[in-house]
Amino acid sequence: MVDISAPRAVVRAPNLRLWVPLCWLTLVGIAAVFAPWIAPHDPLAQDLMLGRLPPAWIAGSEPGYWLGTDDLGRDVLSRLIYGARIALIVAATAALLAGLVGSGLGLLAGFFGGWWDKCISRLVEIWMAFPPVLFAVLLVAVLGTGLGSVIAAIALIDWTRFVRVVRAETLVQARMDYIDSAVIGGASKLSVLRHEVLPNVLPAIIALLSLEMGIAVIVEAILSFVNLSLSSDAPTWGGMIAEGRASIYFAWWVLTFPLLTLFLTVLSFSQLGEGLKRHFDPVQT
Amino acid sequence: MSAPVLEISNLSVRLPNDLKVLNTVDLRVEPGEVRALVGESGAGKSMLGKAVLGILPAGLRQTGRITVLGQALDQLPASVRRREVARHVSLIPQDPLTALNPVRPIAAQMTDAMVRIHGWPRRKALARAADLLEQVHIRDVARVLKSYPHELSGGMRQRVLIAAAFATEPKLIVADEPTTALDATVQREILRIIRGLQQETGTTVLFVTHDMGVVAQISQRVTVLFGGRVVEHIDTEALFAGAGQGHAYSRALIRATPDWTRSDAPFAPVPPEVIADLMQEQTR
Amino acid sequence: MLLRSIISRLIAVAITLFGVAVVVFTLIRVAPGNPIAMMLPPGATAADIARLEALYGFDKSLPEQFVIWLKAVAQGDFGTSIIMRQPVAELVLERLPATLELALMALLLAVALGGLGAVVGARFRGRSPELGVDLGVGVGLSVPDFLWGLLLILLFGVLWPVLQISGRVDPRLAVDLSTNFYIIEGLLRGQWRLVQDVLAHMLMPALALSLPLAAMIAQVLKQSLKAELHLDYTQLARVRGLSETRVIVSEALRNAALPTLTLIGVQFTFLIGGTVIVERLFAYEGLGNMAIEAVINRDLPLIQGIVLLFALLFIVINLAVDLTYGLLNPRLRHG
Ligand SMILES: Nc1ncnc2c1ncn2[C@@H]1O[C@H](COP(=O)(O)OP(=O)(O)OP(=O)(O)O)[C@@H](O)[C@H]1O
Ligand SMILES: [Mg+2]
Repeated sequence: MVDISAPRAVVRAPNLRLWVPLCWLTLVGIAAVFAPWIAPHDPLAQDLMLGRLPPAWIAGSEPGYWLGTDDLGRDVLSRLIYGARIALIVAATAALLAGLVGSGLGLLAGFFGGWWDKCISRLVEIWMAFPPVLFAVLLVAVLGTGLGSVIAAIALIDWTRFVRVVRAETLVQARMDYIDSAVIGGASKLSVLRHEVLPNVLPAIIALLSLEMGIAVIVEAILSFVNLSLSSDAPTWGGMIAEGRASIYFAWWVLTFPLLTLFLTVLSFSQLGEGLKRHFDPVQT
Repeated sequence: MSAPVLEISNLSVRLPNDLKVLNTVDLRVEPGEVRALVGESGAGKSMLGKAVLGILPAGLRQTGRITVLGQALDQLPASVRRREVARHVSLIPQDPLTALNPVRPIAAQMTDAMVRIHGWPRRKALARAADLLEQVHIRDVARVLKSYPHELSGGMRQRVLIAAAFATEPKLIVADEPTTALDATVQREILRIIRGLQQETGTTVLFVTHDMGVVAQISQRVTVLFGGRVVEHIDTEALFAGAGQGHAYSRALIRATPDWTRSDAPFAPVPPEVIADLMQEQTR
Repeated sequence: MLLRSIISRLIAVAITLFGVAVVVFTLIRVAPGNPIAMMLPPGATAADIARLEALYGFDKSLPEQFVIWLKAVAQGDFGTSIIMRQPVAELVLERLPATLELALMALLLAVALGGLGAVVGARFRGRSPELGVDLGVGVGLSVPDFLWGLLLILLFGVLWPVLQISGRVDPRLAVDLSTNFYIIEGLLRGQWRLVQDVLAHMLMPALALSLPLAAMIAQVLKQSLKAELHLDYTQLARVRGLSETRVIVSEALRNAALPTLTLIGVQFTFLIGGTVIVERLFAYEGLGNMAIEAVINRDLPLIQGIVLLFALLFIVINLAVDLTYGLLNPRLRHG
């Protein structure tokens, strides 16, 4: 039975899928860049007299503390804004690093095949045998805490994602006729790789970068949550969530706002990735 | 004359864009009759069969009346209609490759409907299934009953499907091009089987085909469809008598069917002017 | 034919296992800092240091150290936990049942929820319920278990507190069982109160783990269901009087299930990986929680044991899944 009524509601979805996430991420980006000017308070300033203030629209709040304060009297909104900095720095750097390493290896494996492919694929298989979160925690335990090790840990875990996708894409591209004609035309293998294959694989890499940034934001939050990311009073979303989880029965807002922020950000990155994937390759889906 | 088994009046089926796949179709099939439904690809033959069976694709709107054994189907609530159709009407599908459930043995697929529709005990249903399989010329019945669809050839599966269609003792069988997917020798055999069972049981058959050769072999009357409309209803013998009876389009359809048994047979596509005339006639 | 492919799979598994061992060894030994110091709690005595050095052969070359270590690991000797002063193997096996029960419960929930979503979506294809399912799938796929867990805590722990948000069992409840499979053994022995309490603790973490997989199952299963519903045998089932829902459930579902089974097999390992953080989130006393505890305490032998066990679990599950399909596939293939 063929359904002819199906496509009705989906018509404008792809555009929304790109624009709504993009708007939210721009907002987060602005917060991150201009944090010192936007944030109403110092994210680290404690004032025990002002502990656990509820958000502005609830009785018992103090003016100026829009989203309330945490146990130590730090302003939740300001910490969220500064948290966006850490989240985006980690997300962008880790995703780029993972993307560089993974895409490079994926191109090599897919384009040259043979031993390259065998070794790289085996390496990926070994890597995939580790549960990602446990692996991240282990890596940070070995590398030590701090921004650099968090970024390194995330990149070290997630490069495999790029290898798998880019390798598969490259295999498809390498079978296309234009590769043959370029080789017949006297181009060296490396220049074919750079000028013919890479541009065709790039859209997939870009879509994956967006997905990967979402994952990196989550992993950073998880590492902060278990207190393995930055120093414990640094304003990270994951750290705020951990504090919120501890005082959940006394001050629900300390957990709720960072959770919502994280939720929207992760959802946006992944929807943006999906949207980009469809945008570049409308036929596939 | 006794009451018709199937009576369709003023039936139209519209696509969501309001185009009519079937347009004010009238049709009356008497008990025991084999009625051929012919027309070129896209004429709406299968749609007509589906409308009778109540399985039109979602999103299509149907107006007009379909009466089976005196019951107006479109007046019934969906669940009652489903039960009534299951009790009185069967389908022999076109593609034997996909018409059997790959994960269920033949016996289960044949007996299920008998048990559900007539409430027969499983044992009786199984005996009837075996009996019918013999009648469709299947030799090792016991093995076929135990096997899964992928273990049978296309011709074997179509025999199973024919047996299953007759198993529930329907009053009307819709056969939607049941031989198109098979090769020529198997086709003739299958036609003979359907014809034999039909005569034995007196079941009424609505036989959808685009093959005029098949029409001549199996039917007493023909309904010709073009662009969702009925061109004419005519006795098969009269149409094939070659005495100039029947619509010019119907005669052109006969000439457009190649007859591989005769090397001198006239074979010509339907001439454009015939179609032009017909379209003009229909828009009047 | 089949035997050959099994053997080549086993060889691949052996290579992967060896690779895993190399990675773990490298991470723990070649990492910056003095490995002995890292392996000791603050305030260790000189005797402790000497004992460890002798145990791991730190005076020898790295490859030799690796061989010594690998031999010990192969014999099931993962060393002694620094904090708990017990053999790592014992500690790990004690916690494993809790994690397995959690993962299985999550798998069950994922199959139930995903299956339901797929059937509803296919039943009402092209209409608003299908759009609803698609929307749920979209969100379910992009939000990881960690966030689902937090949302559930807010919803059912605080806003409408009906479920337990931490632990595996009420500490006031006397647990009198011989294994740590609380649910399985509790059911077998008819200890309903215990089972009920364990379930109340387990439901939220299991749900959090299950949602992404449920979304994936719903998506893939719905798609293959819809493909089946185009085929003539479902048409025939309708003509024979089955309602649309029954056509889906009793005719199409079994045919549509194979791609979904493949997916579940692969994704189950990811689900197990997710237990690490979800257990932490719900203070559930399983392996994952223990792993994070170990990292925080820098209890490297314990971490190493847990990581190796998880990796082994992953590899074994993947192998089992592969072999099962090898057996399932030819029988279920469409003719
Ligand atoms: N699900 C559908 N949605 C929209 N249009 C359809 C659908 N199915 C069929 N049609 C259209 O309806 C018309 C009639 O189709 P139908 O299947 O009844 O033709 P037919 O006479 O059986 O032809 P054939 O010999 O090819 O089977 C065709 O023009 C076809 O394009
Ligand atoms: Mg047709």
